Amino acid sequence: MDTGASCKISAFQATVADRRLSALEAENHHLRALLSEASRQADAEAERNARLGRIVVSERGASRIEARRIVAEAVRMRAEAESTVEHCRRDLARGAARLAGAEELNAQLRASEEFNRRILWTTTDFVKVLDLDGRLITVSENGPAVLGVETFAGLVGRAWIDFWSAPDSRAGIRDALDAARAGRPCRFQAVLNAGAAPTWWDIAVTPIDGADGRPERILAVSRDITDLKRNEARQTLLMQELAHRVKNTLALVQAVATQTLRNAPSLEEAGRALDARLVALAQAHDVLVQGAWSSASLSGLVAGAVALHGDGVPGQFTVSGPDLTLAAGHGLTLALMLHELATNAAKYGALSTGAGRVAISWAIDETEPDARLRFRWEEIGGPPVAPPTRTGFGTRLIARCLSHDFGGAVALRFPPTGAVLTLEAPLASVVAA
Amino acid sequence: MTDSPTDQPVVLLVEDDGLLLMEAADTLADAGFTVLEASHADKALKVLENRDDVQVLMTDVDMPQGSMDGFALARLVADRWPAIPVLVVSGMGTPGPYDMPDGARFIPKPYEPNTLVRTLRSFIHRAA
Repeated sequence: MDTGASCKISAFQATVADRRLSALEAENHHLRALLSEASRQADAEAERNARLGRIVVSERGASRIEARRIVAEAVRMRAEAESTVEHCRRDLARGAARLAGAEELNAQLRASEEFNRRILWTTTDFVKVLDLDGRLITVSENGPAVLGVETFAGLVGRAWIDFWSAPDSRAGIRDALDAARAGRPCRFQAVLNAGAAPTWWDIAVTPIDGADGRPERILAVSRDITDLKRNEARQTLLMQELAHRVKNTLALVQAVATQTLRNAPSLEEAGRALDARLVALAQAHDVLVQGAWSSASLSGLVAGAVALHGDGVPGQFTVSGPDLTLAAGHGLTLALMLHELATNAAKYGALSTGAGRVAISWAIDETEPDARLRFRWEEIGGPPVAPPTRTGFGTRLIARCLSHDFGGAVALRFPPTGAVLTLEAPLASVVAA
Repeated sequence: MTDSPTDQPVVLLVEDDGLLLMEAADTLADAGFTVLEASHADKALKVLENRDDVQVLMTDVDMPQGSMDGFALARLVADRWPAIPVLVVSGMGTPGPYDMPDGARFIPKPYEPNTLVRTLRSFIHRAA
């Protein structure tokens, strides 16, 4: 036996081959025994005849011829047996080689199957195989949960399209199945109304060809893109909101520009005033951005105005008050108001000399049933002041817009000691919702 | 400008931003309108209930202070005071299909002051 080959073949096959070889050898042995018996008998006969003195040449010759024939037959049979053994050996070797090949192929298939199983186990995608009529044959583990049924039994054999209700989604599935039947892969998005909330899916559908090269079954892989869709919707909403706010800001800038031109004594004066107002608005926007453009910190707005108009001189402003979050529109109006007051103070009031200062303070008055915001701007230590002779943008802004926006009472007075602004408004109408 | 009421059509401006309201009021006053102001929808309704000389309404959309936005106000006014034409102005995009009452006009913000004046005048002429 070829031991190299035998260790590769199965024990069973080796046993069968061994048995066949042993049978052939046993037969060989038997033939040899027959041959030697025939020779022995022929010799014994000759010896007996000689001993008897009766020489029967012809008989002996005949016996010898018969014996030779038997020997020749035995030799031929032995050769044939040996050739059969040789054939068997070759067959065994070939069989062993074929078996080894088949086993390797089997191992590859098993590895591939394991790989596919692992992919299906790892993926969160919903994978299913359908027949050409679009009925579910097999589904991945998550199938029942995705399609909102209790068990696999509730899925297998049912038409995939029956789980979808949205007309667009059904059309998408119909088209994809048609394409797959025609041998074309297809990809589309669809909304599934199976669970508590609708889910969005990105679905790839592809035909599985049979041995004849024509679609035999259909593979569909669905990926949950609900989060992606939700983010897209949120982003669209944010962009719309942003566009809205930008347009409102442009409308505000337009109003500031037109009002500046309306009230300016000269074009040069208007240009300078507009520049400064736009800078003040831009700074207020920084505070607004921190409040996601829907609210503004009162402390932040005041600090911005102080930084813009304080020229880095310490002690020009004293600020006190609890932080409050104002609605965005109120924040911008207040920032413009602070800018107008500070600009006026720098021209004629407390900030026009090194000696003066401005006290900005606010408090929440909760003594009344509805809490109220009391805000105060007071200039101290500057040159004696008098009420302005003409009504400019700042005066109109304070007189008209502030009370309109804040729904409260605003007063700007000019005692000789310095300008004083007081603003009083219901807290509920000024704080961000 | 004259004191004759027909030459001084009365417009009710509804706008929650004081600065935009002031600018629109100045523009319309310069163009010969008599301007009434309201900072939100509820105040506008009070004005309409107490006066019968309002010839045209112009309203913003986003007005958190009142109980309704400008679209709802426009529909309510078109229903209760069908003789008063309505102009809606807003920084938001185009109105939705059911936002505006029949016959109302929409102008996006920011707008050219001339457009505002022309639109309101055409309303007055149509009503006359």
